[in-house]
Amino acid sequence: MDRALRTRLEARFGDVLTGPLRQRHDETELRIAPKDVPDVLRSLHDEPDLRFELLADLAGVDTGEHMQVVYHLWSETTADWLRVIADGIPRDEPRVPSITFLWKGAEWLEREAYDMFGIVFEGNRDLRRIFMPPDYLSFPLRKDFLLPDDAARSPGEGARQMERANAPLATPAGSIRRTKA
Amino acid sequence: MSSLGRAWGHLTLPGKIVFTVVPLLAVLSAGLVATIVLFGGAAWDLVQSNLDFVRFLAAATITLVITIPVAFVIIYMELKVIAFMNLRVGPDRVGPAGAVQSVVHGLKVLTKEDFTPTGADPVVFTWAPVVTYGAAVMTLLVLPFAPGLYGQDFNIGLLYFFAVGGLGVVGLLMGGWSSYNKYSLLGGLRSAAQIVSYEIPLTLSVVGLLILAGTMSLNQIVQQQSGWFTDWFVFRQPLGFVIFFIAATAEGNRTPFDLSEADSEIVAGFATEYSGMRFGFFFFAEYVNVFILSALTVVLFLGGWNAPFPFPDLSLALDPGSLGIPLLFLIALVPVIGTLVLAAPFYLLRSSMRWWVALIVGFVLFNVVAGGLTFAWAYVSFDWVAGLVWFMAKTFGFVFLFVWMRGTLPRVRIDQLMGFAWKWLLPAALLNLFATAAAVVVVGS
Amino acid sequence: MTTKTGQHPSADDPRVIGQHPSADDPRFIGLHQSADDPRVMLDDGVGVYEPVPPYPPRTEREAEFYTLGEGEMFLNAGPHHPATHGVLRVVMKLDGERIVDLDPVLGYLHRGVEKLCENADLHQTIAYMDPLEYVSSLFCEWPAVMAYEKLLDVKVPPRAEYIRVLTGELNRISSHLLAMGFHALDLGGITPILYSFIERDEIVDLLASITGQRMLFNYFRIGGVNGDLNHDFMSRLGDWMSRAGSEVMSNTTLLNENEVFVRRNRGVGVMDRETALGMCWTGPNLRASGVPFDLRRAHPYSVYPELDFDIPTRSEGDSLARYLLRIDEVKQSLRIIDQCLHQMPDGPVTAKLPRLLRPRPGRAFAAVEGPRGEYGIYAISDGTDQPFRFRIHDPSFLHLQSFNVLAPGGLIADWMAINASLDPIMGGIDK
Repeated sequence: MDRALRTRLEARFGDVLTGPLRQRHDETELRIAPKDVPDVLRSLHDEPDLRFELLADLAGVDTGEHMQVVYHLWSETTADWLRVIADGIPRDEPRVPSITFLWKGAEWLEREAYDMFGIVFEGNRDLRRIFMPPDYLSFPLRKDFLLPDDAARSPGEGARQMERANAPLATPAGSIRRTKA
Repeated sequence: MSSLGRAWGHLTLPGKIVFTVVPLLAVLSAGLVATIVLFGGAAWDLVQSNLDFVRFLAAATITLVITIPVAFVIIYMELKVIAFMNLRVGPDRVGPAGAVQSVVHGLKVLTKEDFTPTGADPVVFTWAPVVTYGAAVMTLLVLPFAPGLYGQDFNIGLLYFFAVGGLGVVGLLMGGWSSYNKYSLLGGLRSAAQIVSYEIPLTLSVVGLLILAGTMSLNQIVQQQSGWFTDWFVFRQPLGFVIFFIAATAEGNRTPFDLSEADSEIVAGFATEYSGMRFGFFFFAEYVNVFILSALTVVLFLGGWNAPFPFPDLSLALDPGSLGIPLLFLIALVPVIGTLVLAAPFYLLRSSMRWWVALIVGFVLFNVVAGGLTFAWAYVSFDWVAGLVWFMAKTFGFVFLFVWMRGTLPRVRIDQLMGFAWKWLLPAALLNLFATAAAVVVVGS
Repeated sequence: MTTKTGQHPSADDPRVIGQHPSADDPRFIGLHQSADDPRVMLDDGVGVYEPVPPYPPRTEREAEFYTLGEGEMFLNAGPHHPATHGVLRVVMKLDGERIVDLDPVLGYLHRGVEKLCENADLHQTIAYMDPLEYVSSLFCEWPAVMAYEKLLDVKVPPRAEYIRVLTGELNRISSHLLAMGFHALDLGGITPILYSFIERDEIVDLLASITGQRMLFNYFRIGGVNGDLNHDFMSRLGDWMSRAGSEVMSNTTLLNENEVFVRRNRGVGVMDRETALGMCWTGPNLRASGVPFDLRRAHPYSVYPELDFDIPTRSEGDSLARYLLRIDEVKQSLRIIDQCLHQMPDGPVTAKLPRLLRPRPGRAFAAVEGPRGEYGIYAISDGTDQPFRFRIHDPSFLHLQSFNVLAPGGLIADWMAINASLDPIMGGIDK
């Protein structure tokens, strides 16, 4: 846990934080609004006392209430992983600015997040499905994804009795898993 | 009648053909036998009067047929030698130590489906392997295997060899173009570029040798190298030999120059869409080419059929025919006596051995001894046996070298391949040519 | 793009980004058409496979890629190509033999492991980690158990940490040996792979003697490892260690001193430092470009701070550097194993934990330095016994992405060298 990093980050990004700056084990967590992502990440990447040069991971998250895009960064200036969470993305229209201008390698990571969650990264020049087939309609890692529902809409539609008879039309709202974590 | 009709209906198309053709053949062959009995004498006279033509026909047939066992042996050799280099066992299921493995491979490709891809040009696609294989077989005609054992002794033998050998690439190009596959196309064009480029240093590297030999007849080139092994051209043309061997490797599409069928890059190159016996022809042609290029290297640079040292003249003054009737007794009695003599020590010295086991051991031993004696007799009595032994020993030495390279080297890249031919081999071949010519002028004048 | 299969339907196609298509849109036509669909068959009845997808380009990049210039052609390599290390499909745009551009197509091995893990309890997810990078399974399990240990605030006993490092480094050596052998195989040399397998076989047998499996070990547990080192393992390991260094090195001489091999790799696929960082590279590939980034030192975990080893780097950044760097890493791994054997303390190999684990709601990210780079796991817990979100970060995924940077301008044969030197494993890439 790097206390100095916390002070630095709070001083630098205090005005754009949308949630408390948390620290646990070797991780420091920063919550920002999706529109601030390019500015904040550019500062983290470029400023000499931060120098988060390495994008360790980019993950989409569906908390059941809204979408998040989570960036994990590494810097030689700190012993912590820095986790930047772009929080509060609406689930029905998820849009986040792309960070491919900083890390060209984020292109496929964003494609994966789009493929799995339907999060649209504005500015990514190659945002298409990467794992699922191009004609696939659903986004499998969303919490309202239903396998039978999806199979019923697939090209082999209704081939199985189970799918024809029991396929629900949509996920019941009560069965969606949610978390505040 | 209806049961016969039903049985006929159950036959597949090949079955119907066989059931029609076999009786027809039986009738025809019976007629043929009758014809031979009636007109055989006249036919024999015909053969006698056209002996040259018959000899040519026989030579062509033998060279065509000899390629198959040769290819089988080389394929087996490659399987086993590379396995040895890889610390594997290699084939060991079919025959002793897997010796029949390549024959079974041959049978396998014969029985596989012969498939023509949609979109391919069926005529060109079918003829491509034939052209490649035919070019390989035709070059065998001028190769002198042993004194008197050759198809034709052309006075332009080497020129014929390069001209006909170069035709093989047409087959590869045909196969690559007609397959309607981009991998095939790349493979065909790669082999065309490669073989056209390497044909030049290959031909130039032997020009120096031709200056020294003064003839293009392969037979006479071999005869000029008789005597001690120091008379071989490899010692008078070392640079030419190296260039020739490298260029020959490329001509034969062998590792490290096997770009036209680079399996990790373009799947199988020109052979991607081939299956069954059509693929088998390509496959065989490759190994026949290995044999032919090794043989040509031996003929040009390593003295062909000549032994490395002049063999003392030991020819026996024994003509078996002069023995007359006792020869029959010899043939009848020697195996019996030999077997008994060789079996006796086993039976007498090992009490656990049954008498018939001892006899079998004796018989096998006798065969080994008799075979060895016969071979030794043939070696000293017939030039062509001795020549064939040395020729084959040297040739398979080079085949082993090709296999060794395949087990050791990775593949070069296409630009490195072309650059090597034009920037290194070609100037070196020209240098060799000029040096030889200058030496001939200086020393010869 | 004038082929019949590549016709572009109207621009207001429902599958353009941002508009979520609905199944009952009459304009939507699936790709899995029957044989009489006019779009998959040419008029003359010749079924011709074109790599151009039969739907409109969804992005600028796709439209740009699938437009042929003068004298160019597409070559579809994979998913069943001998050199694609699994089931990767790469559409190449060629000008003769020269690659103009290429587009890797993934998903042929996609199993939805992240989704599976969200429906499995914490212990079960570890078993799903193994088949990801099937040649270095322990490095997939490791970040998963580390992430759970962070979520649960579990302290791992030191002996268990040493065993993890010991087995992990063994696995790293076996993975690097495989990479080196396949590098030669992709360039046409058939022998080195079998020499590599001599030592690799010994290692997987060693690991099998403590884990029970040769490839998919499933050995790490939350709070420790499954079972202590046994006599069989220790005696064979000592035997192997006494000769490993010299044997591994003698096997590599066939390639290191091979002019053909060196020339095929030197100067091919050169990656400079800045681009490598921008492409999010990690592992040996990044270190071959001159960045001394190794999580074992850069973000120390387990007992690596107590061990003495070097981080080899090279500055050339080409295929040869990536290959040679792996050999250097094998030497360092042997050093680490030696130290582990000498320093390993006695004690328990697992922390005491209840059967049913319910971490408090929270988030954890853990990453380890695997043979290909940074394997990361980002786990979110919602207080149940199943992870709420289980994100798997695989280094090969990002290395594969840089084909677009490395391969264009080179020959097809160069792509083989690049692919082999990046050493991607499709199981991890496709998840």
